[in-house]
Amino acid sequence: MVGDRGWKKVGLVALFLLPALIPLLVFRIFPMLASLWVSMTKWNLLRPPEYLGIENYVEVLTDAKFHKALLNTLYYMVGYLPLVLVGAIAIAVLLNSKLKGATFFRGIYFLPVVTSWVVVALLWKWLLSPQGGMVNYVLGLVGIDGPGWWTDPNWAMPSIIIASVWKDLGFNMLILLAGLQSIPDHLYEAATIDGATRWEKLRYVTLPLLTPSILFAMILAMIGAFQVFDQVWVMTEGGPAGATTVVMEQVVKNAFKYGLMGEASAMSWVLFAIILLFTVFQLRFQKRWVHYGD
Amino acid sequence: MHITKPAARWRMAGVGILATTALLLAGCSAGPAESDGPVTIEFFNFTAGADHEAQLQRIVDAFEDENPNITVKVQNAPYEDYFTSLKTRIAGNTAPDTFELNYENFVSFASSGALLDLETAAPDAIDKSVYFPKAYDAFNFDGVQLGLPESFSVVVLIYNKDLFDAAGLDYPTADWTWADEKAAAEKLTNAGAGVFGEYQPVQFFEFYKSLAQSGGEFFNDDMTKATFNSEAGIAAAHHLVDKVGNTMPNEAQMGGIGDDVLFQQGKIAMWHNGIWQFNNLLDIPSKWDVVVEPGNTQHASHFFANAGVASASTKHPVESAKWLQYLASSDLTVDIRLNEDWELPAVADKALLEPYLSITPPENRQAVFDSLDSVVVPPVIERQQELQDIVTLYLQKAVLGELSVEDALNQAVQEVNALL
Amino acid sequence: MGTESKAAVWTRTIVIAAGGLVFLFPFVWMVSTSLTTAGELFKLPPQLIPNPVDGAAYERLFTEVPIVRWVLNSVGVSLAVTFLQVLSSAMAAYAFTRLTFRGRNAIFVLFLATLMVPFQVMVVPLFIELRYMGMLDSYWGLIIPEMAMPFGVFLLRQAFLGLPRELEEAAFMDGAGHIRNFFTLVLPLSKPAIATVAVFSFMGSWNNFLWPLIIINSPDLMTLPLGLSSLSSRFVTDWNLVLAGATISVLPIVAVFLFAQRYVLQGVAMSGLKG
Repeated sequence: MVGDRGWKKVGLVALFLLPALIPLLVFRIFPMLASLWVSMTKWNLLRPPEYLGIENYVEVLTDAKFHKALLNTLYYMVGYLPLVLVGAIAIAVLLNSKLKGATFFRGIYFLPVVTSWVVVALLWKWLLSPQGGMVNYVLGLVGIDGPGWWTDPNWAMPSIIIASVWKDLGFNMLILLAGLQSIPDHLYEAATIDGATRWEKLRYVTLPLLTPSILFAMILAMIGAFQVFDQVWVMTEGGPAGATTVVMEQVVKNAFKYGLMGEASAMSWVLFAIILLFTVFQLRFQKRWVHYGD
Repeated sequence: MHITKPAARWRMAGVGILATTALLLAGCSAGPAESDGPVTIEFFNFTAGADHEAQLQRIVDAFEDENPNITVKVQNAPYEDYFTSLKTRIAGNTAPDTFELNYENFVSFASSGALLDLETAAPDAIDKSVYFPKAYDAFNFDGVQLGLPESFSVVVLIYNKDLFDAAGLDYPTADWTWADEKAAAEKLTNAGAGVFGEYQPVQFFEFYKSLAQSGGEFFNDDMTKATFNSEAGIAAAHHLVDKVGNTMPNEAQMGGIGDDVLFQQGKIAMWHNGIWQFNNLLDIPSKWDVVVEPGNTQHASHFFANAGVASASTKHPVESAKWLQYLASSDLTVDIRLNEDWELPAVADKALLEPYLSITPPENRQAVFDSLDSVVVPPVIERQQELQDIVTLYLQKAVLGELSVEDALNQAVQEVNALL
Repeated sequence: MGTESKAAVWTRTIVIAAGGLVFLFPFVWMVSTSLTTAGELFKLPPQLIPNPVDGAAYERLFTEVPIVRWVLNSVGVSLAVTFLQVLSSAMAAYAFTRLTFRGRNAIFVLFLATLMVPFQVMVVPLFIELRYMGMLDSYWGLIIPEMAMPFGVFLLRQAFLGLPRELEEAAFMDGAGHIRNFFTLVLPLSKPAIATVAVFSFMGSWNNFLWPLIIINSPDLMTLPLGLSSLSSRFVTDWNLVLAGATISVLPIVAVFLFAQRYVLQGVAMSGLKG
């Protein structure tokens, strides 16, 4: 059945798809597969790799440090995801209105996104400084004895979460704004004619039509959260005393510092499996709450 | 049989992917013929940074003047990222001809066959007699000279004279012991005002040194077992851990500000740090000086050394060796390092080092050389980086009170033994 | 949109402005601290207006190191990457939403899957690959491997799915093909999403550190993050220099963001068409 039209269609698909697909295969998928092979070797990058089989996976899966890192990563995600999503939705909805200077404010909310983590970490460590920090000073005014934040093993992860949410809000805001702007005006007009209040418009028009964008932001934020690294590295270096060690920190250390590229790759593939599982779960579960228009 | 098949297939795929790496790492041991035409050699380093880039360039220029057929292409990377880049380039068989290694990383590179045997490859280019023997031998691995000692630094006790004057205390002397330091630190500490008697990082290097100051050994003689949970080890760990939050600020008291900044602001009276800090203390308001670090049962000073090494796969072994020799020991290098406080050259002739002593502050620069009399170098294993991180982690657990000092050391010993 | 009472508008403006201050603060702090003298650094409370103003860090950046060269390298590479990524992502997203072909979902999942493996373990194989291609230590090596942007494909696919189909159907009836439909209808209608992807793309490329670190050796080819990092030494951090560098590296992204926002707003104006 591959007639003229068939070949023309293949050509069309190729034309549109290949500019992205070829570089993807060559520069991402191929190195990925190579790393899958590396995960089955012993390789310090200085000597030729030696084939080991599944030994690295056994090592990683039975390693108490990896378990701790994985639990910490999940802890981070559970704290970070809801805060950054709800916060971003709120800001996006507020800034989507016809407000004077909306562009200006969007720019301001976007500033932390573009500021480097080195600077953001320095600032937040100072704001959350247990003695003389602004946050504990304010808490002190209302009679609360502020915690040790990033110097305290129990409060170090919450400190990282707070700084990360603050930094990433603008990023998610921008994704959601793009979604908000594709909601057609006539739906709001219809709602107004029906006598809907602002809150009802938000509840029955804006939020349902925003759900595809929320899902999208959620999946990306989740993938990012599983690979959290920069902020941990610059704020606590995984400390105090290993309290905030995360999976990516161990991947990076193993790969280039400890000369254990095989283990680093095995860890990455275990992480991959977990992320994939969560993503598939979210995509399956989406039918219950994501509303596709029309 | 069925079980081995997929594995074999993976192996094939892997061989394809990584064939180059394997091939090139086998090492080119072709003859050390010097090329006739112009040659460019790369030099990858982490010590120049922003502060010494110009000085390094001066050394390069002078070397190129003397050797018109050789061009040296310098590349800088910060220490944290240096090894990521270097190891990737070695794995991809595009190793720089020459590069730097610090002593702690030297063994893993040496034992992997990544480095050139300099004395064999270019016997005429190397003159070992110019080097301080202890430093030269540090880069000998299994009887093969794989690096030239390029520079070294030592750690001394840097102290704020004004704080001592204000407290009415005598300045530290070379005879001081831990007990003297502690007594002074207690009198100097005024936590309410944010002023502390001392600062000494709680990590592997300080622990190793404190252990040596107490006469302890890190490993047994044949390096099959870690022994740092001995009496001396416990004393060393207590020495470090017990200061924190008392005579030395803890993390919360520091509030994210570095110990260097605190010393510069006059908030720390005695500071265990390296001679690389001298340049940053020229403009501080307080007067300061240095002294050999106090010991416990004996003196011991830590010493950080860097070597210039050549890649085993370099196509220009002779030119590389010539450059490394020049970089490590030429008169110009010695002159630049001494006059601009860019670490110290590891040269044998002490007379060459004289000009260093005339630069002030600090007045007592002699302490830097006195420290060399009792210098200790940690034994290095192939999995050194993991070892250092383990020791530091357990010391931190002791600082937080999660473990007693004894338990922390016992657990650290267990984990370190697993690396051997 | 319905009318809103003056009080409500004011409340909302105040909430947004107050929040804005919290988000503006670090930026102001960064700029002002980069302009203080080393001695004033880390004084508590921090001064938001530097006194005395000291531009020494900037002077060092502009006189001692080739920062202009680094900025130009970064601008050139980032613009090229942004153009290629936006175009390739939009075309792929079009294929995923407007064309039917076997394995469509599988290929889409393949795009997503590449986001789930840390780049750190792909970097050595990729380096070896580029060596074979002869692209090490070159602009090509910085640009070509970055051509595909799974995140952009994902975001634009989402945006294209949300476009009303009536206009496109009318165009097809008039005999337009997919190529014309893509360039004359889908792209213009998706300006807000395209602008968003362009911002993310530019930002990603601008901040890219690990990849340039590994493949660039020549000082002439260094990008800004690489050049700035090469200034730090092992034991000592010069915070004035770090913050001055950070300030310089933020400005171009802010410029791109503000430029892109014009298109986002244009897109809003155009959404009137959809009604």
